[in-house]
Amino acid sequence: MQVDDALLTKLEKLSFLHVSDDKREEIVSQLSEIVSFVDNLSELDTKGVDDTFAMSDRATPLREDIPSSNPSISEEILKHAPNSADNFFIVPKIIE
Amino acid sequence: MITLKEALSLSKEELNKFKKELQTKIEENKSLNAYIDVMNVGDGVPIAIKDNIQVKDWSVTSGSKILQGYIAPYNATVIEKLKSSGLSPFGRTNMDEFAMGSTTESSYYGKTQNPVNAEHVPGGSSGGSAAAVGAGLAIAALGSDTGGSIRQPAAYCGIVGMKPTYGRVSRYGLGAYASSLDQIGPMTQNVEDAAILYDIISGSDTKDSTNAMMDDKVVPNLNATRKLKIAVLPKYIENASQDIKDAYAKAIEALESAGHTIIEKEMMDAKYDISAYYITATAEATTNLARYDGIRYGNRVDGKNLEETYINTRSEGFGDEVKRRILLGNFVLSSGYYEAYYVKAQKTRHIIKEEYAKIFNDVDLILSPVAPSVAPKFGELANPMQMYLSDIYTISVNLAGLPALSLPVMKNKDGLPVGLQLIAKPYDEQTLFDGSLSLEKGVNYGVF
Repeated sequence: MQVDDALLTKLEKLSFLHVSDDKREEIVSQLSEIVSFVDNLSELDTKGVDDTFAMSDRATPLREDIPSSNPSISEEILKHAPNSADNFFIVPKIIE
Repeated sequence: MITLKEALSLSKEELNKFKKELQTKIEENKSLNAYIDVMNVGDGVPIAIKDNIQVKDWSVTSGSKILQGYIAPYNATVIEKLKSSGLSPFGRTNMDEFAMGSTTESSYYGKTQNPVNAEHVPGGSSGGSAAAVGAGLAIAALGSDTGGSIRQPAAYCGIVGMKPTYGRVSRYGLGAYASSLDQIGPMTQNVEDAAILYDIISGSDTKDSTNAMMDDKVVPNLNATRKLKIAVLPKYIENASQDIKDAYAKAIEALESAGHTIIEKEMMDAKYDISAYYITATAEATTNLARYDGIRYGNRVDGKNLEETYINTRSEGFGDEVKRRILLGNFVLSSGYYEAYYVKAQKTRHIIKEEYAKIFNDVDLILSPVAPSVAPKFGELANPMQMYLSDIYTISVNLAGLPALSLPVMKNKDGLPVGLQLIAKPYDEQTLFDGSLSLEKGVNYGVF
């Protein structure tokens, strides 16, 4: 399958990424090459094969529900965040 | 360089003196660029740590610009386990950005050289850890392996690298790339050291819900004299370079003369492994890397509103390969393509896992190449698709969650190391280490 500029624009939106004009052509051709390669999976007969995969067949393990908290972790994260005050992260204006 | 086993018997005073000398040696070998920087925690045996494993109060950046300014607020479980066993995190090692690469060229900190020949790549993504051990600048190191990122650089640098069964080692505190594939593992000078370090970092952990909750150890039962059944794959290696084929023949001869039984097996065309891997890994990476938005940690590039801040931060913070994989991951997960790509890849994983299970009905271990050639020169894998193809022999092990160990078998005519891997059943690390120990003795690579 070929990736085109319109699809790249859609993927940029989904990815919160901007691909600069000078790199668009190269990225479109690289993505096309990769997607065309992985199209080989259509050659495999997977009829009746489970469509979800988990590393372990065991159920998710359970543990005792004992509350625990390490406030120093959130303090450290806030201290090193790009912008924070009064135990909050500060972001640019959301409502215009 | 002293081995991990030897270092564990040194006194605190001896270790402190050793670490001072090691720090000087690392500074004298700056051009190798194996280490990003060198800090020390505690007075134990120094272990080099890949830049995606949390060490409290260290800058831990997954080799990325987007995490500049981030300081780890806690220790990964493996770091807690190192510390309680008398080991010290000592220096963080270079890596491909977010572990996405096979050469360590995509790091924000520049490329790392291969310690055997500076014109060649050290492999990746744990290239810094492999180069540090290979150059005699680390006793041992931790790496992470999502599609071969421990085993391949180990093979390129002539050291031992081991990927545990999925779930054996806690992923708590490992910067996530592809959560169903990632495992932390040891990178060492020899097989016995790998077993020692594996025993230290493995085991149950309630902080990782995918942990296997198993605490059995391999070192007390290490036995190189066990006679095993080992599968070889003559057709599977047909496209590998002559160096790899020569090493393969040498390893088979060594295993036979050690009394193991060699059984020929076949595996399906590995091109399907590559497809299943790059679909699964990029899909998971897209999700995991969504957290890097410039709000909570790392580097923010302000925009005129929140959305533009996200886009500016991510567009300037991520390198080309990471962007490519995020875009690809969003493609395979997006509506209209999800069934044909992501779901198909999950079905393919079942086929790959069952194929291995069938082979393991008849054998204890599989002998496989690690990479299709020795370490390439810088720039040779500049085309992304070509780089993905070079992962052909390592990724199915991650897709099936198996344990595998890469060890050096010989040097080619240019003196470059050739490594091969043994692969075992899930949770059968004991047989993996026993067989690897036997192969190591048989091939007598003996550089250390």
